[in-house]
Amino acid sequence: MHIYMPGTQKGHIHPISSLIREANRIFFGMGFTFAEGPIVESEWYNFDALNVPKNHPARDMQDTFFMKDEPEMVLRTHNSGLQVRYMEEQIKKGIQPPYRMIAPGKVFRNEATDMTHEAEFNYIEGMYIAEDATLAQLKWTLEKFLKELFKGFEVEIRFRPSFFPFVEPGIEVDMRVTGDRVPEKLRGKWVEMLGAGMIHPNVLKNGGIDPKKYQGFAFGMGLDRVAILRWGIDDIRLMHSGDLRFINQF
Amino acid sequence: MKVSRKWLNNFFDAELPSAEALADALTFHAFEIDGIDKHGDDDILDVKVTPNRGHDCLSHRGIARELSAILNIPLTKDPFALDYDISKKSAEVTVTIEDAKLCPRYMAAYIKGVKVGPSPQWLTEALEALGQRSINNVVDATNLVMFNVGQPLHAFDAKRLSSLSIGVRAARPGEQLEGLDKKIYELNPKLLVITAKDRPAGIAGIKGGQADRIDADTHDIIIESANFDGVAIRRGSQMLKLRTDASARFEQVLSPELAAVGMRQVAKLILEIAGGTLEGVVDQYPKPQGKTYVATTVEQVNKLLGTQLTAADVADAFVRLGLAYKEQDGVFEVQPPQERLDLLIAEDLVEEVARIVGYDTVPATPLPAPQTAPEVNKNFYAAEKAREDWTNKGYSEVLTSVFASVGERMVLNKVDGVRPYLRDSLLPGLTDALAKNKPNKDLLGLTEVKLFEIGTVWKGGRECLMLGTVSEKEKATEMLLVGPENPTQYDDLPLSAAERYQSFSKYPYIVRDIAFWAPKSTEPATELTQELLKKEAGPLCVKVSLFDTFEKEGRVSLAFRLIFQSFEKTLTESEANEAMQKVSIALKSKGFEIR
Repeated sequence: MHIYMPGTQKGHIHPISSLIREANRIFFGMGFTFAEGPIVESEWYNFDALNVPKNHPARDMQDTFFMKDEPEMVLRTHNSGLQVRYMEEQIKKGIQPPYRMIAPGKVFRNEATDMTHEAEFNYIEGMYIAEDATLAQLKWTLEKFLKELFKGFEVEIRFRPSFFPFVEPGIEVDMRVTGDRVPEKLRGKWVEMLGAGMIHPNVLKNGGIDPKKYQGFAFGMGLDRVAILRWGIDDIRLMHSGDLRFINQF
Repeated sequence: MKVSRKWLNNFFDAELPSAEALADALTFHAFEIDGIDKHGDDDILDVKVTPNRGHDCLSHRGIARELSAILNIPLTKDPFALDYDISKKSAEVTVTIEDAKLCPRYMAAYIKGVKVGPSPQWLTEALEALGQRSINNVVDATNLVMFNVGQPLHAFDAKRLSSLSIGVRAARPGEQLEGLDKKIYELNPKLLVITAKDRPAGIAGIKGGQADRIDADTHDIIIESANFDGVAIRRGSQMLKLRTDASARFEQVLSPELAAVGMRQVAKLILEIAGGTLEGVVDQYPKPQGKTYVATTVEQVNKLLGTQLTAADVADAFVRLGLAYKEQDGVFEVQPPQERLDLLIAEDLVEEVARIVGYDTVPATPLPAPQTAPEVNKNFYAAEKAREDWTNKGYSEVLTSVFASVGERMVLNKVDGVRPYLRDSLLPGLTDALAKNKPNKDLLGLTEVKLFEIGTVWKGGRECLMLGTVSEKEKATEMLLVGPENPTQYDDLPLSAAERYQSFSKYPYIVRDIAFWAPKSTEPATELTQELLKKEAGPLCVKVSLFDTFEKEGRVSLAFRLIFQSFEKTLTESEANEAMQKVSIALKSKGFEIR
């Protein structure tokens, strides 16, 4: 039951904007720069540069939106292409690693939509490249980020083996949040949060970085999923509904 | 992929642990498990084999090999080690491959005098546990071997083939084939066919032909154990919209060495359960798979993982995985088994070590302090500033779809077919959102709906970030999002304070207003007024808000708006009226005068 009193009312920002604001604040504090790039992306940055060969199932028509009359252009299926774009930009400016970069933004999958599937959603990509970047540092970074994002609760993470062509080793990260106030969907359960790994040498090479000298980690996390888990949202389609009955709760 | 625990037991001397323990072992060291189902006294695990391991793990033997490494129990009965003699050359069968790139190996075994009939019970049960239908002993044998070692196989009736000149070639335009599923497939030169004296008898790696089927009339058979190009099979299977257990394996790219493993297995099994004699085998294998080597060092393993593993740890992982290696001065030179086509670079070996020792042993090591300050992103800074400015003016932020029914650019293949354009303006989306929200104003407690969106549009050949606004009083407008040239620090802006989202009712709501006179000293939120309204209006009242007050002659008039809504149904006027009746009676009994 709300009891509402009139007065000067402040509007509300979208929950995804709040999450991006928060994620950027946490990562900025850790020295990560917010990078961005085009949504209509070339197949090179979206696939080839990321070590996803031409015959990989991920490139099949059903997953990717291809642009009409624009050969080799797609709606980006992840923000991982920004790894390579960012490396190139830095090299162009004459800056060698270490690099710390995050890239929040919209990505697309050509799927029919329902309560748990959307064709457009928001992702945050992260990357750290240095001579001595390690998987152990990735664990610390993600632990720190998720602990801050779910402040006030007990947060644990664990790694599982997985496969993404642009990382080696590739891992999946699960999180468990405990606490009475944690939404039921999340409380005390291990849930899959994101994919990550050590950047594949071919990806470094494609970005103009010497993989013999440098190594790095990268991760990509769906922000809609984080919002759904954090606030107990029951339908992903609310994100793009423009419905203030949803937005004004945040 | 469905994997039977009972079947896995065949590879080991000792009984495997419980299905749950196997699922855990695989989850944390190899593959995700999509579920475990009971099948009689067996447990069926649904293993999600990752695309990099489609070469070697789409089989019970592949999963057993993994479990052997993870649980550190020897794989004592490895079907790859089966020593069954198939070296006898066939005097009657010939095989011609048109393009060895598309078919690197083709083995054909000619078995005469088989007795086709029902499979023995163990075989039927093994297949049924995986959800497969038993067909007859010969066909079941080929399927069993595929699920056992991962090599797809096919059996033709040699008499029906009417020629023992087997060929592998591109299909010709206009050719057709009736598959074993009795569907007619139109063929084209992008598809590879198996032929008997040039007549198509099967779609290579995808489907066999009905004309050359195995049934009770069959006596002599040709068994095919071949290797086909993964990309060609995947394209063909997409083209025909036909994905089979065979094509799903070939498209992952298999080692041509596996063809011989499969042939030894199937020849032995068929002779055992269907009888007959092996006339001989033809093996067209122009370019045998070479040996490969990959090297890594203990130092490299630790440098990538951030661990402190020893040479003994690394060696142990390789031994458990069955990876032959030579070690010299901390350098491990590994010779991957021929089915492990995924092990190409040093990092692949590092992953193998990490999986086997377990990712839980990787510590969490802090990043060093950054050497340079991060940059402030100009566009994001501008967007954040706009968010703050417009929310301060009472505007709320919406995100609307980038897909539109008009625009300059469009996508080719939208699954739902509607709104294939990329928007060239934020205005239509904002206008729609305004219209959608207007009827909910009372529910939202707003006097006016005001919206903004910060989003990408595609206009004038460019992708640009726009800021759009709309309200009930002002028309929708948009402009390029601009901010200061060189911001140096992000502002400390508020985050959402929401703890939990509350789902809202999809049913319409009813509004009722009530105004009454109260003594001047009455506080609107005291128990006497607002609390009273809340209580008397009942559970269907979802919102009570004060919307007007004025004083006259020492009294104050309080006007409240009550919103009624149900999660289960559309409320009727009478339900709202009834609640309001209770509210009026309660107010009157407290001495308030209803206006």
